[in-house]
Amino acid sequence: MKILVCIKQVPDSSETLELNPSTGWITYNPFTVFRMNRFDEYALEEALQLREQDPGTSVHALSVGPERVSSTLRRAMEMGSDCGVHLLMQQDEYISPVTVASAIASYARTRGYDLIITGVMAEDDMACMTGQLVAAILDLPSATSVIRVDHRTHDGSLEVDREIEGGTRISLLMDLPAVITVQSGINIPRYPSLSNVLRARSQPLELVRIEDLDIVPVRESCSGVKSPDSSIQGVYIDGTLREKALWLKELLHERAFLP
Amino acid sequence: MDREAFIVAELQQGRITQETLELVSFARGYAGGRLPAVLLTGRNIGEQAAELSEKTGCAIYQIQGDHLEVYSLEAYCAAIAEVVSERPSALVILPHSSMGSDLAPRLAVKMEAACITAVETVQGKTFIRSVCSGRYTAEIVPIAQSVVITVLPGACPPHTPESCPPGPITKVQATPRPGRTRILGIKEPLHRDSAVKEAEVIVSAGRGVGKKENLSLIRELAAFFPHSAVGASRPLCDMGWLEYGRMWESTGQTVTPKLYIACGISGAIQHVAGIRGAQLVVAINTDPEAAIFRISHFCIVEDLTTFIPVLLEELKKG
Repeated sequence: MKILVCIKQVPDSSETLELNPSTGWITYNPFTVFRMNRFDEYALEEALQLREQDPGTSVHALSVGPERVSSTLRRAMEMGSDCGVHLLMQQDEYISPVTVASAIASYARTRGYDLIITGVMAEDDMACMTGQLVAAILDLPSATSVIRVDHRTHDGSLEVDREIEGGTRISLLMDLPAVITVQSGINIPRYPSLSNVLRARSQPLELVRIEDLDIVPVRESCSGVKSPDSSIQGVYIDGTLREKALWLKELLHERAFLP
Repeated sequence: MDREAFIVAELQQGRITQETLELVSFARGYAGGRLPAVLLTGRNIGEQAAELSEKTGCAIYQIQGDHLEVYSLEAYCAAIAEVVSERPSALVILPHSSMGSDLAPRLAVKMEAACITAVETVQGKTFIRSVCSGRYTAEIVPIAQSVVITVLPGACPPHTPESCPPGPITKVQATPRPGRTRILGIKEPLHRDSAVKEAEVIVSAGRGVGKKENLSLIRELAAFFPHSAVGASRPLCDMGWLEYGRMWESTGQTVTPKLYIACGISGAIQHVAGIRGAQLVVAINTDPEAAIFRISHFCIVEDLTTFIPVLLEELKKG
């Protein structure tokens, strides 16, 4: 089986982000640390486990973005992906999910992947749509919020459980090739092994310029980013640590939560 | 351009969900008070179609077929597209549920429409959604003729029935096509933990607890209140620190305690959507700009691992 895992690089914490008044977009400051989207760590781990069950399997990690995303692809290789594919896109402002998805679809279309896996969402934007868009553009079956995967080697199909409301699961049997987006908690992502760290250090990434791919015209734009309306914020409690604790104790008594 | 608004209704155990009625409100807000048309998909859904028509006055498309009894992406997408894809300019509104977020992108690609998910509000023709873990809001403007959106549960008050003539019901028979995905079965959860659903006070833990041992602080604080429960954000359940029954993110469930104390929770929008029914929200977080503070009544900027021990000390004094 040939598996493509789509990985997004996200800022480690939103605390270092700022708004750029000239572009109206979010900027990263020198203290911004980037890492792999946690949901995609689960996607990668699931692919690696499928490879362990079926040793003929290869796992390719792919990411779309500027130069800095190469560090996250290295991390994917350190965790065990066979190679890293960087779809280089210089733009660091609003990138439409359909641009990212069509870049992935365009790359994957002729490369014979049996399975494309990605996380159910990105932690930063939480749009929950890249995987589904890739599947729709390539006209492949897809399943979202997957919490169990079983590759049935006897008939080549994929059995998955989707998590839906109230903890209920729906079991599906999918023809391959297919696209799945995995929910967190499906597995425990591994740490890099020393041998993979050494291999990743010397292995080059495959670099593809986004201009060389078939990109669907954008269907929406971002007209601005704002800090949320501060008027809807709650009351910040002032004082020392102990004063705040005493204040909260007082509130709990006042509102009759405590006798 | 004026887009014709459609909402995709959702049924759970045969009942019309609260989110469906929220979508009616959302659509009216978008269309200057005009009612949207409702797309109701399923098998034997005559009763629900009549109920929706009476409750909302909306025109209902009752799209039915034996193959539509349980949600399936390919079947539902084809059935809904049959009604909407002929329209030159449509706005299709789905709930941001497991169905809505599964279906919206595929429907959008089929309709060559813009796809905007987890929308919270609309201003004019601009859709507003949270980005960067809720720290900012982005204004998204569609360029394409048609638009498919998902709306976060709880973002809009539900449509309240008013005296209105029932809307017309159009029956559409959907044709099954061979699909590449088969439903094997539905697995109900082994046990539903009702503790957080029924609690009057929920003390909830997020990543800010740092270490599993620190959960004892959360438990100890919760124990001060009668009828209390410990809640958790999804990452804590994923790490196995607390059971999945203690979270409600991305499960479409909501909790309605009288008091909700959020400890080290950043306020991911899925978590926040689930606590919309809480009467009083107090949050403890080290980041003064954490999204959780936007929906809290009282904000305490402290590290919970130092704050809660002092609070417990004071509470023990009685």
